Amino acid sequence: MRKIIWPITLCLALMMVVSCASIDCPLNNMVYAKFKLHSKLADTLTISTMRSDGSDSVLLNKSINTDSFQLPMSYKYTEDVLFFERKGLSTTTIDTVKIAKTNQPHFESVDCNASIFHTITGVNYTHHAIDSIAITHTTVSYDASKAHFLIYFKSSTD
Amino acid sequence: MMQAKPISLSISKAALISLLLLAALGMKAQSRKVMVQQKDTIPFYRGVAVSFDLVGAAEKTLGSYGQYEGAVRVNLKDKYFPIIELGLGTADEEDVSTRLHYKTSAPYGRIGVDFNVIKNKHDDYRLYVGGRYAFTSFKYDIFSPGLTDPVWGDHVDYNYPDNKGTYHWLEFVGGIDAKIWKFFRLGWSVRYKRRLFHTEQEIGEPWYVPGFGKVSNSNLGATFNIIFEF
Repeated sequence: MRKIIWPITLCLALMMVVSCASIDCPLNNMVYAKFKLHSKLADTLTISTMRSDGSDSVLLNKSINTDSFQLPMSYKYTEDVLFFERKGLSTTTIDTVKIAKTNQPHFESVDCNASIFHTITGVNYTHHAIDSIAITHTTVSYDASKAHFLIYFKSSTD
Repeated sequence: MMQAKPISLSISKAALISLLLLAALGMKAQSRKVMVQQKDTIPFYRGVAVSFDLVGAAEKTLGSYGQYEGAVRVNLKDKYFPIIELGLGTADEEDVSTRLHYKTSAPYGRIGVDFNVIKNKHDDYRLYVGGRYAFTSFKYDIFSPGLTDPVWGDHVDYNYPDNKGTYHWLEFVGGIDAKIWKFFRLGWSVRYKRRLFHTEQEIGEPWYVPGFGKVSNSNLGATFNIIFEF
């Protein structure tokens, strides 16, 4: 027994010394709402919003052949207002999309940045270029594998 | 001219030799059996031990989290060791890059039994395997200077004190201890901790759970015990 006590003790001491911690944080602290288009949009799509100070912020800039995109959600507001500008060869249309949501603060670890998750509660929109928007998944979190909205655009008039 | 032996004679000889061999083996086994069946005169209750863990205290002293832990263990026939472990787990961690501050302090308890698996149970050395059921109920605070929305530009508060949580887990224990002087012993144990059930607040899982360590489905732990056995 005496022969095995010291090797075991030494092994345990080494295990204590070499034990390490791993940090498994998401890549950033933003979460995104994922939009999927029913069919690829050949026209140019630009999406913007109005910031709290009244200035515009472009969230998606002149995207062509778009079939999906991701947009951030506000930390504070219960409704995000987005402007969808669709530019064809001869016509430009702007739709207003209002997304109603709740905001939940999320803590992952002391080592990971704080973040805000969201639950989508509704969507309203104008119908200039957008035919309809369906909510397919309500929880906006680090899981970006599922689309939250499915957008049907009207066929191009060009 | 050699005369062939009758076959029945050969069979009889073989059978006789086999019986003698079996009888000899049986006698040997009988003598072993007698030795095994010697009565153990050691009394059922052999004493009680009080111990304190140094690893958890060192973790707390050198780092931002750890636990102060003591245990009471009963010695039954030098073979079975029912044990109760009680501790106070604390964490006070602030990350300089995320600026998140996590704080908790709560008691925890474990109950279980160790088995001395060494051949000579009454030796000064003991080798244990055992298990524990553990539980803690605690509150955890999360503070930060707040978040600034990178798109909309707003500042939002991010301070969430008094989040309640409970944790139930099992521990599989292996350990050794040795008599150093009279009633004074020293020992190690290593533990594999497996979460059973837990509750948490909507904000998310706690970072550190008193007695369990950093949050995960499973965890490894170790103790170095100063033991007083009476």
